[in-house]
Amino acid sequence: MSERLLRVLLTVPATGHAERGAPLRAVVPSARAAPIASQLWAAVHLPGFDSAQKLEQLAVSAQRFTPRVSLVPPDGLLLEVRGSLHLFAGLAGLRSELMHECLRHEVQALLAFAPTPLAALTAARAGKSPVITELAQLIGQLAPLPLSALRWPEETVLRLSRMGVRTIGGVLRLPRAAFARRFGAAQLAMLDRLTGRMPDMRASFRARERFRRRRELDYEIRDHGRLLEALVPLFTALAGFLTARQSGVEQLECRLWHRHAPATHCVLSLAAPCSDAKRLAELFSERLNALVLPEPVRACELRAQAPVAHLPGSGSLWQPGEQGGDAAAVSADLIERLRARLGSGAVQGLALREGHRPECAWTVTEPAAATARTAASAVGEPQAAARRPLWILPAPQPLEVRDGLPRRSGALRLVSEPERIESGWWDGGDIARDYYSALDAHGVRLWVFRDRSAPHGWFLHGIFG
Amino acid sequence: MALGDPKLTRLLEHPAIWRGRSAARRLGLPSGFAALDEFLPDQGWPRTGLIEILVARFGSGELSLLLPALAALTRASSARWCVWVAPPLTPFAPALAARGIVLERVAVVGGARPSWAFEQTLGSGACDAVLAWLRQPKARDLRRLQLAAERGRTLGVLFRPRRAAGEASAAVLRLGLEPLTAGARITLLKGRTTHRASLDLSWT
Repeated sequence: MSERLLRVLLTVPATGHAERGAPLRAVVPSARAAPIASQLWAAVHLPGFDSAQKLEQLAVSAQRFTPRVSLVPPDGLLLEVRGSLHLFAGLAGLRSELMHECLRHEVQALLAFAPTPLAALTAARAGKSPVITELAQLIGQLAPLPLSALRWPEETVLRLSRMGVRTIGGVLRLPRAAFARRFGAAQLAMLDRLTGRMPDMRASFRARERFRRRRELDYEIRDHGRLLEALVPLFTALAGFLTARQSGVEQLECRLWHRHAPATHCVLSLAAPCSDAKRLAELFSERLNALVLPEPVRACELRAQAPVAHLPGSGSLWQPGEQGGDAAAVSADLIERLRARLGSGAVQGLALREGHRPECAWTVTEPAAATARTAASAVGEPQAAARRPLWILPAPQPLEVRDGLPRRSGALRLVSEPERIESGWWDGGDIARDYYSALDAHGVRLWVFRDRSAPHGWFLHGIFG
Repeated sequence: MALGDPKLTRLLEHPAIWRGRSAARRLGLPSGFAALDEFLPDQGWPRTGLIEILVARFGSGELSLLLPALAALTRASSARWCVWVAPPLTPFAPALAARGIVLERVAVVGGARPSWAFEQTLGSGACDAVLAWLRQPKARDLRRLQLAAERGRTLGVLFRPRRAAGEASAAVLRLGLEPLTAGARITLLKGRTTHRASLDLSWT
């Protein structure tokens, strides 16, 4: 029986009509399956590796061997190298170069070559470094490898080992239909990809692109306006770069070189991805105005890290604020412009917090995006509203006291019943206060309280406004 | 013949007679106080342009005067920002929310250049209303602010001390405000209207 199955596996996939009942037979079209024989995959297995960033770096270097590099996170790389062999004086040359590349990145790597990507990867994961160039040798080389190299679920491997199946060869010998029924079609499909019965599509790795352009100035510039003019071609180039890729930047770095002083760095962070040269230049000019240049500028460079996908929205017919007008774009623009000039802490939103103490009942937040129509804030009862001032002091301010009554440029007249707020014993910030509204000599309504703990001082906490 | 004469009033009701006041009428933003709507030139706050509120002391009730209108603006379906530029104290969020202001629409701008920030926000077109507390703005600046407010179709409210009443200003409306026991006395200092008077308003 094993001989028959082996023969079936080794025939070119499209001719597998011997197995009419097999569940996955129809998946493989002959035209696609044919090139499997002419592929050669190199697998780079990095034992105990888990840095996605370093894997990407290695993939970038590996692209000098072949354009078809794909990542197998967290610890593998696959390279299709058939077409590159003659450039490196054959397989041995390419192998030693690839090993050299891994050493240069200071990683321990196991290399395996096989006609299918999964086979190469499985062999490398099993700790072997075979060179299998022909599809005909594949099964024979894979057969002795342990099942664990396939990285199947623990439970599947355990069940197979209870059946006495401990190697890949053993699994391949099992009847296909029964295997699919017991262990799932996905596992069978994986075996088919392993042996080249089914094509294995791998997404090619594409290195993340970055924009970086430097401009040497004809003469030294000190003036901000002229510097901005000198930067305009760089912004235009950046906009072209981003538009071609349908992406935008969220962070932009500009470096300005001087004759003696170290280069000035200037980072512009945006609230939303942007690819518009004019808008970037405008924001940057605000940022530039806040910058003090130690010396005139000799050269400038623009760097954009990691463009993000961004499609500019279509303009609307209505102006913002008009019926149906969308204020989203201009509102983000406004917040960005203010922050570029005044600093990011200068623009804040307000939000409510659960808390009975006046200090704990609110907080500052990021200004909400005007697009997201969030649930309207709860409207409290009107009586409570009238008892709260519209302005609050950053901290209660002690008031002068005469005859037990508070004063602030003249005696204060208490005009309300006291409201007791006693809370916060659980977090150490406990308060016990009697709040009154009071009128001062000029008719301004104040929110004052008397501390219930000794020494029973009077404090100003808000202004009704 | 006095203006209140019923005979004259009936005569003026004739459809062939067009009067300047009614033809150029553009309804303002309801202030939330019926008496104040009657008193203001556009039957409410202007929707666009710079207005000034002059008070002797901070906290005399100038914010309470505006809050109903601001609450209505922030609750509108296509509401834009309501920005507070350089307020002398922090607005107390629970009180604003209790008066019906949608806090998500509120942004507070601090920083060193309130005049620049005020002009930017007014002219951006991203705000329904901008409140600002500036220290001694110049008449030339006020003209620019008024133009910016018209460009951005925004109501700009500038709070100033009472002593600025004598200075020239490009604002479309100037009101003086003095606190009363449970209300405020509002004086019309400048406005596109014929009558100049004062109004005693009570907060209820």
